Amino acid sequence: MSLPPFMLLRPRRLDEAVVRLADYGPEAMIVAGGTDVVPNLRAGLFSPRALVDIKGIGELGGIRFDPRSGLELGALTTLTAIAESSVVQEHYRVLAEAAGTVASPVLRNMGTLGGNLCLETRCLWYNQSTVWRKACGFCLKKDGTVCHVAPGGERCWAVWSGDTAAALMTLDAEIEIASPRGRRRMPLTEFYKNDGMDRIRLGRDEILSGVRVPARLAGYRGSYQKLRIRSAIDYPLAGVAVAMQLENGICRDVRLGLTAVNPAPLLVREVGELLRGQRFSPEAVEAAAHAVIRTGKPLKTSVSTPEYRRDMLRVFARRALTRLWSSNGGH
Amino acid sequence: MANFSIVGQRLPMVDGPDKVTGRGLYTDDLALPGMLVGKILHSPHAHACIRRIDTSRAEALPGVKAVVTGRDFPNRYGILPIGHDETAFAVDKVRYIGDNVAGVAAVSEEGARQALELIEVDYERLPAYFDPEETMKAESNWIHDEKPHNIEKEYHHQFGNVEQGLAEADLVVSERFACSEVTHAALEPHSTLAHYDPATDRLTVWSSTQVPYYLHLTLANVLGMPKEKIRVIKPLIGGGFGGKSEVIPVEVEAAVLSRQAALPVKITYTREEVFYAHRGRPIQIIELTIGAKRDGRLTGVKARIVQDGGAYCGYGPVTLLYSGALLGAMYDIQNVQFDGYRVLTNKPACGAMRGHGTVNTRFAFESLLDRVACELGIDPAEIRLRNQLQPPCITVNQLRVTSYGYPECIRQVVEKSGWGEKRGKLPYGKGVGIAGSHYVSGAANSIIRSEMPHSTVNLRVEDDATVTLLTGASEIGQGSDTIQLQLVAEELGVRPDRIKLVAADTERTPIDLGSYSSRVTFMAGNACLAAARNLRKQLFEAVARVWGVSADQLEARDDRVCAQNGSGKVMSFEQAVAAARQQFGTLEATGSYAPPAEARGGKFKGAGVGPSPAYSYSAQVAEVSVDTETGQVSVERITVAHDCGRAINPMTVEGQVEGSVWMGLGQAVQEEMIWNQGRLMNPSLLEYKSASTLESPEIVPILVESVDPEGPLGAKEAGEGSLAAAIPAVANAIYDAVGVRITSTPISAEKILKALRERQKPQARGNGGRR
Repeated sequence: MSLPPFMLLRPRRLDEAVVRLADYGPEAMIVAGGTDVVPNLRAGLFSPRALVDIKGIGELGGIRFDPRSGLELGALTTLTAIAESSVVQEHYRVLAEAAGTVASPVLRNMGTLGGNLCLETRCLWYNQSTVWRKACGFCLKKDGTVCHVAPGGERCWAVWSGDTAAALMTLDAEIEIASPRGRRRMPLTEFYKNDGMDRIRLGRDEILSGVRVPARLAGYRGSYQKLRIRSAIDYPLAGVAVAMQLENGICRDVRLGLTAVNPAPLLVREVGELLRGQRFSPEAVEAAAHAVIRTGKPLKTSVSTPEYRRDMLRVFARRALTRLWSSNGGH
Repeated sequence: MANFSIVGQRLPMVDGPDKVTGRGLYTDDLALPGMLVGKILHSPHAHACIRRIDTSRAEALPGVKAVVTGRDFPNRYGILPIGHDETAFAVDKVRYIGDNVAGVAAVSEEGARQALELIEVDYERLPAYFDPEETMKAESNWIHDEKPHNIEKEYHHQFGNVEQGLAEADLVVSERFACSEVTHAALEPHSTLAHYDPATDRLTVWSSTQVPYYLHLTLANVLGMPKEKIRVIKPLIGGGFGGKSEVIPVEVEAAVLSRQAALPVKITYTREEVFYAHRGRPIQIIELTIGAKRDGRLTGVKARIVQDGGAYCGYGPVTLLYSGALLGAMYDIQNVQFDGYRVLTNKPACGAMRGHGTVNTRFAFESLLDRVACELGIDPAEIRLRNQLQPPCITVNQLRVTSYGYPECIRQVVEKSGWGEKRGKLPYGKGVGIAGSHYVSGAANSIIRSEMPHSTVNLRVEDDATVTLLTGASEIGQGSDTIQLQLVAEELGVRPDRIKLVAADTERTPIDLGSYSSRVTFMAGNACLAAARNLRKQLFEAVARVWGVSADQLEARDDRVCAQNGSGKVMSFEQAVAAARQQFGTLEATGSYAPPAEARGGKFKGAGVGPSPAYSYSAQVAEVSVDTETGQVSVERITVAHDCGRAINPMTVEGQVEGSVWMGLGQAVQEEMIWNQGRLMNPSLLEYKSASTLESPEIVPILVESVDPEGPLGAKEAGEGSLAAAIPAVANAIYDAVGVRITSTPISAEKILKALRERQKPQARGNGGRR
């Protein structure tokens, strides 16, 4: 399958890029590493008039850490750079682990953090060629009227399939968004709409330009657990991210994020309420794991069954919490 | 050990440098002036009549040079003489989602794609059949009118007396096994460049094929052209694994489009189209019964196999017959019954895939044999040795066994894997399993039922004393070019780089039936030896005359001819060639090979499949660990011994054995084509889960050389026989690790977890060898 025709625009500055986006409106798409956009273009999922390639914008790169202000990540930072960053590994373990599980080494070298936070949602009925989708009458998400996953419903259940978003949510990350009107910040948790068709709160003329992680979460223990059939290449079928602060065996703070089971990455806030101030116990872990599977709602969007993915959420939640809580750091 | 100079060397593959540097040309790399892009319109329906096709709007699109539909080229074809049920494009009826409806050739890919959208097809949908056991009950709307109840073929074989055998057994066990459909996933998608030249009325086809000769015959038939007007050339191939071992629609379609357009046309499949062309390993449901005496001696085996073939015949009946013929033939079992059904469903056609037909039955048999061993309290390695054949012998289903390294394979893997220290003794969650498999070294009977040689090789010595080796054999990455070159160099006693190989071009090279059934080393290899010996005879005659000695006193080695009579006379190969030229003018020789009559099997219906001049054997020990919370299996090590007769090139044999094991592991734990009402849900290499390097365990290959009396310098098959054992070895290791037996493939994490939950707690584990 060849790429459809489009105009390729390569702005060098962020203010230029957002003007370009504004010019083309809904007919423009942003591309950075291209690891998500290009296969989707080949599959005929998008036919933009203009692709705005932001890779050449120097100000969007880099990893900066300051013990007072925390971590700043440019949107173009590659997933490899994050996974291998000693600062991230040391202070924000859960993010390093999540970034290191994305796809494969080659794709992590190309794929960017911004791209991973803005991934298109995925579904077995959607990530197919035009010919394939046409043969089954298309689907709600693209060109059709029926959801094959939940027929009769009005909602699209295409699943959020990124790895880093859940990890960053557990770290209270904020994102920075640039537009012709300037820049704004938003908690990452508010960025996602939990709608398979319309996944993120990003205007047509906006670019996710960076991520900030507060200093107070530096040093949290972290673990990212990912379900997939192959140990590389695959998108997550379920994922659990946990960041935890311990003091003399007592859980001072904990956040648990889910991915790849709903149309958005989600924080399971109940886990914090259940565990804060507690000492490790299998019962506490079990209660938290139970909260996790009440939040995760996998459907038949992937080659694996919803039942198994739900089971694994419980196992992963249990594992991550046990590892972080009952060991000397889980590293 | 025989005293060879070239054979037995780890010679780098001769096609390697071009492939790894990117210089080599595959079909899709080729281009001709004026070449058009071909595209195919595929059926969106699983089963439907075509009421009307209107191509007029597509034809009117600028840049479109040809539009072809089924009625334009209605001649039927198929790889088997009994199965000519395909046409270039569907005539009146489509039979699976992805079936071929029409083809377009245009000056650009985008133009061809647009033209496809302008073709209007009026379908009348028919009831469709997807389940192999349900389809057999169909009373109407059969997929092919001439195949009642959607049964393509059925076979019922009884050797000895199974009921009596089972009655005499101390233990009879039965199990129903189900194997999912898997596919080759060769890196190179199928591609064909066809050039019909109206000025000469000739057609030249470059194609990604394992079988140029059969493609040649098929093109002549479909296009209604005489064979001499057609030339088929096989460029480099990026893997076949059986997926290119019959004529694939794209090959015929590029040819008919070129014929229609009178211009060159190239079609390269998308990955999705590769899945529609498929021809991989079918779904099989295997009901298996084994009877054994208390001492482990097997008294009988009975199998009923329902094989889901998809919508066309392809190699299907052969797949099924291999399943039956090789079911019990690696052991000494006197009573064997096989009832097999190859049924039609509205899905892409299945066919030959590495280990053709033997893999699923081997999984079933070796799994159930493991259970027999455990229930009888016999070491699973030992029970296999107790049932070994006593070669030379003829099995109960009339397969001739001339060499049999299987017992040695078992002994080697038992020793090298630490089997004795590990089985039943590793901590819960870790285990080892053993299994065996075997395979033909080429089918003894040709598909087209001809008496002609199966392989012919010509050698020609050039002026510069290089040797041109002309062979029809198809290098598909398995190493056949290198092996033929080594055999000829050995026999002529020349440096390998003296030999220039010209292969797989029907206009220039002699006939070879192709790269399937692991036949090339054995058959083309024997033809190489015969040709080289004929050539050497001429050389020796000439040199003997020069020296005034007898030709039988001469030896060729290290690029020289020497007298072995104590005279110390030596002549370089160049000098010998010059001498021979003076005497004979040209210096050429030919050699061919056909399997001997006694290797061709019995006379019963279906007896033609299974016989081979020799069989390879494999034994494997798998070591696994099972995560009992997730069910995930990690295969940590495979120790594999393969009886290849003689390793002409140990490096390429090891590569083939490792590749076979790796491919088997994919089917064992993760690969599967996922269907939903005839719609393939995972037609991509992202969602079809071939193993990544991270799931690839350490593989320890051991070569056993049983030196077959008829193999070329003793060689047998190496490329397929080690695939099948990998699957039951893993299944049996999982049992050793956690005490559950999974009877379907892939042995997914989810299945293991489910089985573990049914067992509840580790203490409740049943009759393993583990207490």
